[in-house]
Amino acid sequence: MTESFEEDGSCWRDLTDVLSSGISRVLLYGPSGTGKTYAALHHGVGASPAERLVCTEDLTSGEITGTWMPVGENRWEWREGPAIRAWRGAGGLGGRLVVDEVDRASGDALSTLLAMTDSPESARWRNPETSEWVRPGPQFSVVMTTNVDDLEDIAPSLRDRFPVCLRIDRPHASALASLSSDLRAPALAGSLGPVGRRVSLRSFYAFDELRRHLGAPRAAQLVFADAATSVLDALAIAALS
Amino acid sequence: MSGTVHPELVTGRDDGFAVAPWTVKPGSTRRGEASCNLTERVLEVPLGADATSRVVRAHELMHARVSPHRIEHFGALDEMSPRALECAEELRINTLIARLGFDVALLRDGSEKSGARRIAESDDWSEAVCFLMAVLGTGGEKDYLAGIRSVQPSWLAGLRAVRKRAMSIMDSHSNGALGATRVNDDLLPGGYANATVVLARILTQTMVARPPSTPEELRAFRRSLEPGGRRPPTGRFAALKFDDALVMSPRPRGAGVRRARASTSGSSMRYPSRLLTDERKRAFATRATFHGGIVIIDQSGSMDIDEASLTALLRKAPDALVVGYSHRPGDTGATPNAWILADRGAVARRIPSGNIGNGVDGEVLEWALRRRHGTEAVVWITDGQVTDSHDHPDDRLTLHCAHLVRRHRIRLVKELDGAAAALSGGRRTGRSQWCQFGRLGRKLLELQAF
Repeated sequence: MTESFEEDGSCWRDLTDVLSSGISRVLLYGPSGTGKTYAALHHGVGASPAERLVCTEDLTSGEITGTWMPVGENRWEWREGPAIRAWRGAGGLGGRLVVDEVDRASGDALSTLLAMTDSPESARWRNPETSEWVRPGPQFSVVMTTNVDDLEDIAPSLRDRFPVCLRIDRPHASALASLSSDLRAPALAGSLGPVGRRVSLRSFYAFDELRRHLGAPRAAQLVFADAATSVLDALAIAALS
Repeated sequence: MSGTVHPELVTGRDDGFAVAPWTVKPGSTRRGEASCNLTERVLEVPLGADATSRVVRAHELMHARVSPHRIEHFGALDEMSPRALECAEELRINTLIARLGFDVALLRDGSEKSGARRIAESDDWSEAVCFLMAVLGTGGEKDYLAGIRSVQPSWLAGLRAVRKRAMSIMDSHSNGALGATRVNDDLLPGGYANATVVLARILTQTMVARPPSTPEELRAFRRSLEPGGRRPPTGRFAALKFDDALVMSPRPRGAGVRRARASTSGSSMRYPSRLLTDERKRAFATRATFHGGIVIIDQSGSMDIDEASLTALLRKAPDALVVGYSHRPGDTGATPNAWILADRGAVARRIPSGNIGNGVDGEVLEWALRRRHGTEAVVWITDGQVTDSHDHPDDRLTLHCAHLVRRHRIRLVKELDGAAAALSGGRRTGRSQWCQFGRLGRKLLELQAF
């Protein structure tokens, strides 16, 4: 009998099942540092690399669908944005669009996102340079991520486009595998802590790397600052053998 | 700057303890104001940035790492004193954090000396033994022993012997073994079962022991702490625990016991000497039939009884109260040590067998005397051995029983077969017969001499 983490915790199993079942609109939410974006970029992605959008309050629709770019004197060329590139994917089959921090998108960008994430039957966009009508390819999928714990913080119209919302509350086993073995269980458990004591996976990556060069005390000081002693004490007790 | 604590990072258990968030409550470095509740996942610890707070936090985190979190244990702890378990676990935890480099010398709050004095003044040897485990190896140990010494200096030798044994148990395990959490067949984590429970078992029997006061007692006390050692003398009887599961059924009444009694009138002058010695000149004999009496049967060791003897007794005394007793040495209340075999007309359907020891002689005599009707006869079937709750013969307890025998004219009988005759006889056990009753008989002779 071991500690009951469920290494491939049910949230990750759910994601795998959803994506492999052909659901093309998924919203992942939950605490930061659990690997939501990593999973969105790599799980169930087809031949072409996933396109990524990181939402901020200043995000414009041009950064989503594309912009005119100067290519010489008095000449401009239309450069398609990540959403359209994902619609097309390799060979027009469609690829993966990852929309990070979606709760931060506002105004203009949000309406464009609504259009880009609409159902395949309704979604279409006209290229201003060629007047070509573009539609999402058959394999197009969108995974949105957010760190909010309450889905009420997401615009209802946007949420409506994502029938499957999964709370990701722990790192994926594969994300832990690259840590030193003594840190895997604490990193997994640390990500489950309440707000204020949660220790993100990124912190453990940094600590693991730094301690190889600087030793654990200095690495902990640099990564965990005031909590360094507390973290080291807990790790020492956990590693009792 | 305030210290922080990360109970969630304390992983590594092998006993199915689910990883989930904890609730952290602010506590203090004072004794009893920090705790780790594994069931509710509540950690109460001092949050100061000082070194003492840090060690107290480490202590509670170690509980989270290795202490049991299940309630079920298939009865493995039933005979263990909860206080002994608690304090033995404190020692295991302090040993583990000391081995990880935490400065356990800081684990003291200044109350150890006065607390020890209070324990010694109230003559609480069992708490003295337990609390020693809680402070052993910490900065509070020296003050604690000084407090005990100031009031009960004779306890120190015994406490040192317990200390040595406790340390040897902890030292015999590596860190991994001492902190192991893989559960055994009793659902107890390995380290807890192999160190805490082993020590708690010793503490449980030592708590009820009489503090050794002579070199000979100390040697016996030390031997009792070793594996397989005989339990130390306790100098006290165990508490009575009656077997409530025995089913009683009514039995046909016999003829009873006819007994001659001196009288001032009658048809047969049986006691002519009384014309000279008895103020009331009761020289005649009248016969009366007696149906009752109380029979107390020592069922320890080889003193088992057979059903035929009991039936024969009840034919003569159908209304008798017959009680058997035998205590399992060291038992703390789990095993019945007394049972009513017949109760004024009803008889038990089976006769329980004894539990090796005596252990409750005085207790059962007093219990029976409280149920005596008038001056009815009380017969004690005994070999004259009186022992304490750990089945050690004890002078003081034997003397106590001898006093009861004298004061209440209890008749001593060696075998159950002789009980009916003893009930019908008008006299108590004669002085000439006392020598048949071992230590008890010798005490009776001594009392007689005074």
